[in-house]
Amino acid sequence: MSTVLPLATAEVWWIGAIEALVVINILLLAFAFMTLIERKVLGRFQRRFGPNRAGPFGIIQPFADLIKLVRKAPFRPDRLIHPVLYLGAPVLSATMAFLAFSVIPWGGGWELHGYQINGQVVDVPISLIVIFAIGSISSYGVLLGGWVSESKYALLGAMRAGAQLVSYEVALSLSVLGVVLMARSLSLTGIVAAQHNTIWYVAPQIVGFACFAVAGVAEVGRAPFDLPEAEQELVAGFHTEYSGMRWGLFQIAEYVHMITISALMVTLFFGGWLFPVLHRFGPVWFLLKLAIVLFCFIWARATLPRLRYDQLMNLGWKVLLPVATVNAVATAFFVVLR
Amino acid sequence: MNAGNILVWIVWFAAAAGCLGSALAVVLLRNALFAALALIGNLVSLAVFYLLLSAEFVAAAQVLVYAGAVMVMFLFVIAYVGWNLDVAWTGGPSWQTLGGVLAAIALLAQLLVVIALAATNQLKHAKHVSANFGDPASIGRLFLSNHLLAFEVISIVLLVAAIGGVILGAQSRRTRTGGRR
Repeated sequence: MSTVLPLATAEVWWIGAIEALVVINILLLAFAFMTLIERKVLGRFQRRFGPNRAGPFGIIQPFADLIKLVRKAPFRPDRLIHPVLYLGAPVLSATMAFLAFSVIPWGGGWELHGYQINGQVVDVPISLIVIFAIGSISSYGVLLGGWVSESKYALLGAMRAGAQLVSYEVALSLSVLGVVLMARSLSLTGIVAAQHNTIWYVAPQIVGFACFAVAGVAEVGRAPFDLPEAEQELVAGFHTEYSGMRWGLFQIAEYVHMITISALMVTLFFGGWLFPVLHRFGPVWFLLKLAIVLFCFIWARATLPRLRYDQLMNLGWKVLLPVATVNAVATAFFVVLR
Repeated sequence: MNAGNILVWIVWFAAAAGCLGSALAVVLLRNALFAALALIGNLVSLAVFYLLLSAEFVAAAQVLVYAGAVMVMFLFVIAYVGWNLDVAWTGGPSWQTLGGVLAAIALLAQLLVVIALAATNQLKHAKHVSANFGDPASIGRLFLSNHLLAFEVISIVLLVAAIGGVILGAQSRRTRTGGRR
């Protein structure tokens, strides 16, 4: 009865609390500027400027958007039967999105005035599974939000989201098995440490990386896998009946989820915060790699058309799942035989 | 009793209250949607117990598999058939109900026996929690050594279930397309 979660390294609890506060605020800022950068980059891909009115290069556009969202009248459907669930769904989505980032390592840890500062908010020995567990809970926000809206478009969006998340979660978990087998660890800090003196896992695990990239985009529900909110078919999908900052919370959840999946990709396949030179600047390397991955997310959105529903299911179950399974089994053989 | 122990007790009581309350809600609520949501709450509060017993891997797997994947399927079905089914259950006690009642009685008897033994300090095996208790490696080693038979039997059960699902899906598709496939 006296055991609680054993922490990997001794860190005073209030340092962890400060880290959490800083990380959440950085994530919020990153979300705000991701919306701007996405619109700018998409604009450039389509040979137009993107937002450029608010401030130089449109740099205060996110804050203008925030003020607009907060001041909007929050309407809600008249026929609402479960108002608590209606309000709780976006809150659940956003909370779980922030929670998942807490186990991502972004630095090697430092010692400052005798205090140990870790490179992540919490370090648990099974952090990879924790991320997937939190991710599976966060899908309830989308599902519930779509249903309790009592609208056919929202319901259809929620059903699509449910089917898509369940299908691609399997492929996503299987695609990382190769990395877990090679690093012999389920801890993200352990996986980063295992890439310290070897080549990054993207090279030996190129198949797993490809599966992870596709399944990751699908898990976040971004283009070309944005069927749950396909504008041309479902108005706005699961968040059709949400407005103002309630919609904003769903938006925050989607972007933070995207940042977390990208950070996970950097951690698993690109050595996390490691870089051949200047180890002390771990967070800088981490942010740099993260920015490149996030750019690829936007690139995919600008380039690829949305999949049809049957194509989505075929890709998930008949291509990604077998390929990821074969990759995991083959990796297991190599790891044992080596 | 230090601050950490008090925190553990508080978490334990919250999880116990949540577990009992949500279990009652699953049985008593008429609305299938709320019952399913209560079941998710129940599974998550069980995961908290696993955490308190320093079985982090089991806790994470519980949330990932049961509270996550399985319950999404439940909610999916409820959304398809509608959650406002106010039709009362008309089927009488079937052999499934009987089996369920018998299993519940057996579990209750086991539970009472264990509690009685523990209260009188007669449990044979004392608890031995080593440093790597409950980590994935030791669980995997147990699966492939002491519990190999159960592990293999469960894998066959799951395989049969998966094949059954495929056959059922293929049949319904055949009838829908008028036997063209």
